[in-house]
Amino acid sequence: MKEGRQVHRTLRAVMGMSLALALTVGLNACGSSSTSSKSGGTVTVLMGTAPDSLDPGLGATTQSYEATWITYTGLLTYAHTSGEAGTKLIPGLAERLPTVSANGKTYTFTLRKGLHYSNGASVKASDFAYTIQRAIKLGWGNKSFLTENIVGGEEFDKGKASSISGIQTDDATGSITIKLVAPYGPFLNVLAFPAAGLVPSGTSMKSLTNSPPPGVGPYEIASVVPNKSFSLVRNPHFSSSTIPGVPAGHVDVNVKIASNNQSEAEQVLGNTADVFDHNDTIPPTLLSQVESQASGRFAKEPTVSGEYFFLNTKSKPFNNPLVREAVNYAIDRRALQRLDSGMLDPGCYFLPVGMPGHPTSSCPYGEPNSETTAANATKAKELVRRSGLAGTAVTVWGQSRSPHKEFVDYYASVLNEIGLKATEKIVADAQYYATIGNLSTNPQTGWLSFSQDFPNPIDFYQLLDAKSILPTENHNPSQVNDPHIQSEIASLGPVPSSQLSSVVSRWQALDQYTAQKAYMVVFGYDEVPKFFSNRINFSAAIFHPVYGNDWSSLQLK
Amino acid sequence: MRAVAHNKVALAFGALFVAIVVLCLLAPVYARDIAHTGPNDNHITETVNVGGKRVDVVSPIGVPIGPTWKERFLLGADSNGRDVAVRLLYGGRNSLEIAAIATLITMVLAIVLGTLAGYMRGITDGVLSRVFDLVWAYPAVLLGVALGVALAVGGLDLGVFTLHSGSLLLPAFVIGIVFFPYVAKPLRGHALSLREREFVDAARIMGYPPPLGSVRIMVSEILPNLTSSIVVFVPLIVANAILLEAGLSYLGAGVQAPNPSWGTMIADGIRLIPGAIHLVLVPGIMLMLTVLSVNVFADGVRDALDPKAIVRGRL
Repeated sequence: MKEGRQVHRTLRAVMGMSLALALTVGLNACGSSSTSSKSGGTVTVLMGTAPDSLDPGLGATTQSYEATWITYTGLLTYAHTSGEAGTKLIPGLAERLPTVSANGKTYTFTLRKGLHYSNGASVKASDFAYTIQRAIKLGWGNKSFLTENIVGGEEFDKGKASSISGIQTDDATGSITIKLVAPYGPFLNVLAFPAAGLVPSGTSMKSLTNSPPPGVGPYEIASVVPNKSFSLVRNPHFSSSTIPGVPAGHVDVNVKIASNNQSEAEQVLGNTADVFDHNDTIPPTLLSQVESQASGRFAKEPTVSGEYFFLNTKSKPFNNPLVREAVNYAIDRRALQRLDSGMLDPGCYFLPVGMPGHPTSSCPYGEPNSETTAANATKAKELVRRSGLAGTAVTVWGQSRSPHKEFVDYYASVLNEIGLKATEKIVADAQYYATIGNLSTNPQTGWLSFSQDFPNPIDFYQLLDAKSILPTENHNPSQVNDPHIQSEIASLGPVPSSQLSSVVSRWQALDQYTAQKAYMVVFGYDEVPKFFSNRINFSAAIFHPVYGNDWSSLQLK
Repeated sequence: MRAVAHNKVALAFGALFVAIVVLCLLAPVYARDIAHTGPNDNHITETVNVGGKRVDVVSPIGVPIGPTWKERFLLGADSNGRDVAVRLLYGGRNSLEIAAIATLITMVLAIVLGTLAGYMRGITDGVLSRVFDLVWAYPAVLLGVALGVALAVGGLDLGVFTLHSGSLLLPAFVIGIVFFPYVAKPLRGHALSLREREFVDAARIMGYPPPLGSVRIMVSEILPNLTSSIVVFVPLIVANAILLEAGLSYLGAGVQAPNPSWGTMIADGIRLIPGAIHLVLVPGIMLMLTVLSVNVFADGVRDALDPKAIVRGRL
């Protein structure tokens, strides 16, 4: 009898599992495209640079976000889709998008019910307040988005308050209310950062980068070997029905840090690793081989990021608008495209292609892609001569990493060609930003890149905001303090990301104004390689516009 | 010198070295009259005629043209579309200039301090020998990199003596400091034995009272007898200085961009292997030939001046 009952129970369990499987398959079929998905297996992802931290309260680099955005879901998150659709915010741990008060300063969310962390613990509304406090206390690289906008954030950061007065939560109802100091357009994007992805209350207020805390998301981080490897394994407490629009993930992911681009590309080309780091450059001599031998698993993906040379408007010779214009005329952006292995879309506007507000008008310094108008050295020389600053010594700052150093070599040669006297200062990558970000260094000009933290033009214009001129960690190395830009930032900044379409023309006008003022030499927008082994279903893999390769979309063929 | 003249191999390599030096000194002439471009002039988006076809100097995906064996881009271009042959000669000038100045610094420091330590003995010897040991104890390349990196951004400012970060004197100074104990210690030992010789005693007896007398004895009695050792050391230090300069420049701690040196040229080209291997091969071969020629010539000089070496040669 005992044996019979056991068989009966087993049969019931099998039937139940079959039903659940059928339902899951049915639901997946309803919710997904016609592409058949295959789950299971492990893929090897190569990463050129190790994440700064795998603790969501600390990590602030693209490498960190790539892992943490699918591990720590916030109240809101981005749609798991390629292209512009991927910039759309969808409810994450919140039931729906928040209600916003008429003055744009109060946001009210309600937490979904029945959520669990990867360790099985239940998610509470009060965990949100704790998560934000933790990110501030740990010193998350973008914590100013929180401290400057949320009421009581500054006081908490300075230790004058034990909690953030602008965040109220109710565990019983799941209600979360956030009060802002002033309306801030991209605030919902701030809440979509992995740093605002919930962790349990009571999680250590110390860095847990080697043993990241539990989160809510398709994956959990495991087996961290600092600067060498880590893994993302599928979260047993998460399914595709937990949060609509957030897939459960198909494969486990082993991430290996591989600092040599050449070896990285060779491994993926030879199928001994599966994913090339999109932040890295495929060496030019391998690129043609990749394009010919792996055409079905390689693509250039545009990104909302770019490259520019800043021009210090407070120092000679770039305090003279004629010299700044001259440099913009002299630079041949097609040359810089070649230095970047062709992975650069030449352009001269500060807002990149793909960012709302990117001007559609032609570049004031000549069409960057045209052989006849790309560069005008004669006009540039004339402008320098008219400025009376010919022969002025200029130090060009750059990074030792390729192709950034090559950019600076080219730039210095152009400055010399138009009558300035340029020399270079190449600094090790790790020290570069700290060196040029120190106001006492007072760098005249140098290379910088910019990429979106979130899809809102205000993110880029913070780099031209006079408030960003700081003694250390200066974010405005051109030291631009332009009343028109300041007034437009004040006016356009509070416009929510969801309403950007209503002010696109104003952003375009502002960006044209910035280009005409020649506060910097923007030379192009980055394209990055989406390059996988032949084991991966290339067409099913999503290249996300904010976070790059979406590992939760990877699946084996 | 007659013995050196009989060593045909040493002479041939000495001539090769002289030829390399002359070629490098003629870099501006080659750049102006043959290649028609400067060492830092870029031609990224230009084309060049090769075999009747227009070819990109740098391809759209960033691969530079290889040797054309013509006036323009004789040895190809680098990723910035700069003429490799022109940069090779200018780079050689920089490398040789740094090696020469570094050798001068090394030899002056080594001769003065080595002779002083060996002749004076006592506290002077104790202090100076510890200084030699201190510098010697640190691996030469690591010390060079540490000093080079530290000085590469801010330069050297000692109040009365200033070197800007881009100055060629900076790597020369670093290399000169790194190598001086390698010469000073043997010279000290040699001076230590010479001071006990009869002719030095005779000089003292003849009325060279200390302390000024000691200086006169060092200059007129000790130093002339160190000449053969010094002559042997000079080419060895030149060869090692060229190598260390290349190493430092490769690591970004030597010659600063955009100035070329053989080390920076190799560093710039390494990422383009194997597609544009000429970027590494050309400066690498030049570096090898230069160091080889100096070393073989130095061996010849040593064989000529060192009786033991002659015995070894006969064996």
